[in-house]
Amino acid sequence: MKRKDILFQINEIFIDTLDNEDVVIEEITRAIDVDEWDSLTHIMLVVAIEKNFKIRFTSKEILSWNNVGNMIDCILEKG
Amino acid sequence: MNVGDKFEEHFVIKQEIYQGFIEVFKDKNPLHTNKQFALEKGFNELVMHGNILNGFLSYFIGVRLPTRDVIIHSQEIQFKNAVYLNDELQFNAEVIGIYDSVNAIEFKYNFKNGESKIVAKGKFQIGLLK
Repeated sequence: MKRKDILFQINEIFIDTLDNEDVVIEEITRAIDVDEWDSLTHIMLVVAIEKNFKIRFTSKEILSWNNVGNMIDCILEKG
Repeated sequence: MNVGDKFEEHFVIKQEIYQGFIEVFKDKNPLHTNKQFALEKGFNELVMHGNILNGFLSYFIGVRLPTRDVIIHSQEIQFKNAVYLNDELQFNAEVIGIYDSVNAIEFKYNFKNGESKIVAKGKFQIGLLK
């Protein structure tokens, strides 16, 4: 799967989880850039992404992410 | 807990629960308080508040799971059939997902009445507190 396809799917997950049709996620997007991206939302996003891509992250991997691009790197490594 | 683990509980919608719900939350909609109104709407009796079932769900999550280190992340419920005073409900829950990375567990559940009809069902996600 290509990065842009993963990014598109992640964006759809953000829209659904944040219940915000207008949210646009880019590789450089960080939690601080999105108002609704708080700690609970982060958990819901991770669970939704794990379900969507049928993968499991470790807590260490999640803690290493600085932005959405790091998240995509991690998904690709598991692909 | 593991995926596939199942839990069962038995609940009864007692008068004190019904009255307590009305006293605390003030939902006195005639469907719940006027028998004639309920009959006219096609129900057999006064319909109990569906959110009483959420109270049972809260009890299950907070007290009956194998751990007390728990918090609710999300829950959803679909009401399928009316519940009435003194209905005996069978509650069934099953672990359907474990997300170790964020210490979260997802369940599906349902409530069945004495006729084994599903009166409500849904999913909830809990977090395990460190």
